[in-house]
Amino acid sequence: MRGRQALALELRRRRGGRTPADPGPVRGPSAHRRRAGYLFCLPGLAFLALFLAYPLFYNVWTSVHDVRLSGLLGGAARFNGLDNYRVVLDDAAFWHSVRLSLLFTLGSLVCQFTLGFALALLFARPFPLNGLLRALLLVAWLLPPIVSGTLFRWLLDAESGAYNALLRAVGLDALDHDWLTDPSTSLAGVILANIWVGVPFNMLLLLVGLHTIDPELHEAAALDGANAWQRLRRITLPLMRPVCVTVLLLGLLYTFKVFDLIFVMTGGGPVDATRVLSLYVYEVFFRFFRFGEGAAAGLLLLVVPLLTGVFYVRRLRREDAVGGST
Amino acid sequence: MKPPRHPWLLTAVATVITAAFLLPVYWMAKTSLTRPDRILAPTPQWLPAPLTAENYRTALDYAGLTRALLNSLVISSGVVALTLVLGVPLAYALARVRLRGSGAMVLALLVAQLPPAIVLAAPLFILERRAGLDDSYLGLIAADTTLTLPFAVIVLRPVLRSFPPELEEAALVDGCGLPGVLLRVVLPVMAPSLVATAGLCFLIGWGEFLFGLTLAEGPDVQPVTVLLNAFVGQHGTAWGALMATATLISVPVVCVFALFQRFIVGGLTAGSGRG
Repeated sequence: MRGRQALALELRRRRGGRTPADPGPVRGPSAHRRRAGYLFCLPGLAFLALFLAYPLFYNVWTSVHDVRLSGLLGGAARFNGLDNYRVVLDDAAFWHSVRLSLLFTLGSLVCQFTLGFALALLFARPFPLNGLLRALLLVAWLLPPIVSGTLFRWLLDAESGAYNALLRAVGLDALDHDWLTDPSTSLAGVILANIWVGVPFNMLLLLVGLHTIDPELHEAAALDGANAWQRLRRITLPLMRPVCVTVLLLGLLYTFKVFDLIFVMTGGGPVDATRVLSLYVYEVFFRFFRFGEGAAAGLLLLVVPLLTGVFYVRRLRREDAVGGST
Repeated sequence: MKPPRHPWLLTAVATVITAAFLLPVYWMAKTSLTRPDRILAPTPQWLPAPLTAENYRTALDYAGLTRALLNSLVISSGVVALTLVLGVPLAYALARVRLRGSGAMVLALLVAQLPPAIVLAAPLFILERRAGLDDSYLGLIAADTTLTLPFAVIVLRPVLRSFPPELEEAALVDGCGLPGVLLRVVLPVMAPSLVATAGLCFLIGWGEFLFGLTLAEGPDVQPVTVLLNAFVGQHGTAWGALMATATLISVPVVCVFALFQRFIVGGLTAGSGRG
């Protein structure tokens, strides 16, 4: 019965009709209202044009000019074509940070997603205090990254950090280690902190997906003798596939952007062991004041988020066209 | 899903996991309340006995902490105000008025959330300096609002669409203009989601770091996140005072979240999902 109602709503929606959940635009004397509507949009859009779109385009301009500190106050800058891009692409440090960004993103994503999924499976079951505990977990995600970064710096501290003390307490003295100042482990240290930050968010989104699975499917399979593992493999995972892809895409977007957390934990160091792309751009621009190259590097940094974004928006559209939940 | 046979067993498991997961937060608060000479002991103690406020006194004696907390408060309040003033009419028009190009606008708002902050901080640094906006509250508020405004519109639009339009239609038929409808009919109905969106924007402004680092030069406008980062460099081993500062920054976050928990969870999933 519920299914048929949903189907009727869906058909109505596809025909462009109104549904109770989405009543559509209000009707009224239209030309006048439309003008007022555009006026409503104007301040917000003007602001974004001035403080978001224009700076981004200005970045493109800077990237093809020779702009240094003297150019800061509007001095003439020489057009130099793709020279800035060439310098950046020839810089071994740039490719080193590309590799670090990929490692950081991959390591964070895999662990965040796996742990988040496990927690979501647990919290998808009804039990007392479920909502409260779930909300508490989210605190980790809401703390400013500067706070969590400082905190993990302390936890991973060589002599008195809690993490090493824990390792010693369980007899793993061999692993007792100065995590963040050793170039071979510092990346693992910042990934660990980033996993902690990201797990609750992954859990939350995956939980929303799990709740959309019709419980009758599980009941029917259980009646047919399927055990919990089989139900996970044959029902939950296939049905969760679209949600999983969405969550991973969003995770990729967020993780690729990370700056604050790494900046406060290691500053990109020791030497350059954790200097991911966003920190590389920061250094070129704000430490060496090579604005042209910094802008070029920044635009190169945009490639991954833009590609991910295009992919993500296309998925949203396709899901809507197929009639996914809105 | 059928109710589990031992729901309290699940509660116990989930409680243990949650407690373990939040151990770092406890450690932060614990360290901030432990006497400095006991913090650096090789075997850490679980409880901060004897309790002390010494670390908080030290932190507040560091140059600029109170001022930075105040700066952050001013900046994030400004971000909330600017976001709502610009965002509510925009969200309303995109939700309720049949506009040419509204689909493109929503798409643009989604895309606006993609660029990493550093890509925007770089040109803003040059442009705001030329416009004389650098090192001012206004410059920081504007920069932070580029993060919150697209987010707020994307969260508020579906909320606005979910209201039955009859009331607004009636007001329009009665000759009330669109601004009147928004102010007198819509705003009162959407007050709860509006307050919660404001809370989320406050959190974004409060935790923002990169714009504060690049666009504020002096202690006059520097947000507290930037100061904490500076403390890490200056007082690297004074973990008690550092954790006290971190705790002071976290308290408002936890309070805002506790107040709006229910909506924030919904808003986060909507904001990061679809428009």
